[in-house]
Amino acid sequence: MTARARAYGGPALGAIVLLAIAAGAMALAGANPIDGFAALVHGALGGTDQICETLVQTTALLFPSLAVAFAFRAGLFNIGAEGQLVMGGLCAGLVGAALAVPGWIAIPAILIAGAFGGAAWGGIAGALRARFGGNEVIATLMLNIIAGLLANYLVVGPLHAPDATGAETSELPASSWLPLLIPDTRLSIALVLGIALAAFLAFVFRSTVFGYELRAAGDAPEVARRAGINLPRTAFVAMTLSGAIAGFGGATIVAGVLHRFDVELSPGYGFIAIAVALVGGLDPLWIVLASFVFGILQSGSLSMQAFAHVPKDVVTFVEGLAILALATRRFVAPRTAAS
Amino acid sequence: MESFSGFLALALVKATPLIFAALAGTICERAGILNIALEGALTVAAFAAVAVSFATGSPLLGLLAAVLASMLLCALLGIAATRFGVDQIVAGTGLNLLAAGGTAFALVVIFGQPGASPEVHALGDGGERALIVCAFACALVLQLVLDRTPWGLRVRACGENPRALLSAGVDPRRLRVVATLVGGALAGLGGAFLSLGELDIYSDGMTSGRGFIALAAVIFGRWMPLGAAGAAIAFGALSALQFVLQRAGVPSELMQSLPYLAALAALTGIVGRARAPAADGVSLD
Repeated sequence: MTARARAYGGPALGAIVLLAIAAGAMALAGANPIDGFAALVHGALGGTDQICETLVQTTALLFPSLAVAFAFRAGLFNIGAEGQLVMGGLCAGLVGAALAVPGWIAIPAILIAGAFGGAAWGGIAGALRARFGGNEVIATLMLNIIAGLLANYLVVGPLHAPDATGAETSELPASSWLPLLIPDTRLSIALVLGIALAAFLAFVFRSTVFGYELRAAGDAPEVARRAGINLPRTAFVAMTLSGAIAGFGGATIVAGVLHRFDVELSPGYGFIAIAVALVGGLDPLWIVLASFVFGILQSGSLSMQAFAHVPKDVVTFVEGLAILALATRRFVAPRTAAS
Repeated sequence: MESFSGFLALALVKATPLIFAALAGTICERAGILNIALEGALTVAAFAAVAVSFATGSPLLGLLAAVLASMLLCALLGIAATRFGVDQIVAGTGLNLLAAGGTAFALVVIFGQPGASPEVHALGDGGERALIVCAFACALVLQLVLDRTPWGLRVRACGENPRALLSAGVDPRRLRVVATLVGGALAGLGGAFLSLGELDIYSDGMTSGRGFIALAAVIFGRWMPLGAAGAAIAFGALSALQFVLQRAGVPSELMQSLPYLAALAALTGIVGRARAPAADGVSLD
C-alpha cells in the first residue's frame, strides 16, 4: 500500500480486502462465501436470542479492549489483558463462591475482587517497568502464561471445589449473579457497566489532568518528563488500572455469564482486544462500536461453522490480518526511543 | 525416567525446538526486531511440515515447507515493521492470531477434522538426531557470524544504533528484514522438529508457548546465540525434569511456570545486569 492509498482509501480499502480474504477462505473450505456471510450474520443478528448472545460477546471484548487502549494511550503495550482477565475472573470466582451474603453486597464485592486480581497482575508488569525499566511486553506475555498455569493449579489443586467437573470453581449462589437485562438470555447488566466505563474513560482522557498526563506520557514522553510528569509512576499506575479494567471484565464473565470461574473462560478475548482497540482508534466510545463488530464475528462464527461448514477459526485468522492492516502509525505510534 | 541417559535424551529432545526458536529470537532482536511472533512461526512451521509430508509423502519436503512457511510469517513481521510503520509488537500479536486461526482453519480444510492431523511420514530417529545436532551447530555458527563477520557487525549495529548504520551506507530496514528471514528459517526448523521430529502429527496448540519461552531464553542468554542456546537447554531440562518431579508431588504447573518466572526475574536484573540492544523493538522512523 502506498502512502497515498493509505491516506485516502485506507480504512475502506482495508475492510474490502479483509472481506475478500474471508470470502476466499470460505471458498477454500468449499463453501459459497455468500452462504458463509449470511450464516455469520444470521447467527449473530438473526433474532433476539442471537443479538443478545452477540452483545454478550461484545461485553466480553469491551473490557479488555478498553484496558488495552488505556495502556496504549499512556504509551504502554499491554499484551497481558488475557492474563489479567483470567486473574480477575479467578479472584471473582473464588470470592463469589465463598460469599454467602445478599446480592447487593456480594455482587460489588465480586466485581471489586476481579478488578483487584487484574490490577495485581497488570501492576506486576507496571512495577517491573517503573522500577527496573523492564520491557512490559515481555512481562505481560510471560504473565499471561503464568496466570493460566496458576489458575489451573489453584482450582484443580488446593482450592478444588467438590462440585467442580473441570478446572473450575463452585457455582456462585444465584443471588450473586449479575441481573439480566433481558430474561432467559445470558445478557446481563455488564454491558451497561461496560458502556458506562467507556464513557467515563472518554471523560478522563478528554477532561482531566490525570488523563492529560497519561496521554502526554504516551505521546511525548520526553516533553512530559521535562514538564514534571513522573514517567515511572505513570507507567505503574497505567498498567495497574489497565489490569483492573481487564480483571473487572473477567469478573463480569464469571458473575454474569458462566456463574463460576473456569480456566477456559476466555477464548483469547485479551488478544482480540488488541484488534478491537485499534479498530476503535483507541477512543473509548468508538471501542464500544468496534466491540460490537467483533462481537458479531465471535458469535456468528459458530453458526457459520454449523450451517455453511466454514471452520470458525477463519474469524481468528481475519482478526489477525485486521491487526496487521490497522496497526499503522495513525493509531499507535511505534516506539521511537528505547523504552 | 529409567536412567540418567534417558533423562538426558529427553532433555535434548525438549530443548531442541527451544534452541532453534531462541536463536531466531536472538538474531531478530540483535537487529532490532522484537519478534513476539515466534510462537506463530513455530505453529505455521509445525503445521506446514505435516501438511506437506501428508501431501507428498516426503518428510524432507515437509521440513523445507516448514522453513519456508516460517520465513514467510517472519518476513511479514519484518516488512510490516520496516516498510509500513506498523509497530512490531502489534504486528507480532496480529501474526500470532493469524497463525493460530490460519492453521486451525487449514487443519479442517486439508484433513477434514478439527484438533489434530492424522499420522504422517515423520523424519525418523535419524532425522531427529540430525536436527538436534543442527541446533547446536546453528548456535555456534550464529555466534561466530555475529562476532566475527562484517554482516554480524552490521546486524549488531542495526540493533544498537540503526542511524549510524545508515550513515555508513547500509540500509537498516533491509538488514532487519533479512534478520527476520534468518530467524524465520531457524524457527521453521524448530517447528518442524516439534511435529515431524519428536512426533508425527500436528495438533492445535502443540507449540504451547515455546515461542514465548524462547523470548525468555533470549533474555537469559543475554542476547548471545550461545547464551540463548544454553538457556534453552536449561529450560528443556526443566521440561524433562517435570515428569520426574511430578511423581515426587511437585505441581507440574510450577515446573511449567519456571521459564516464565525466570524471565520476569531477569527483567529485574537480579540475575546480573542483562541489557537488551538499545534499538530492540524500536521503529526506524
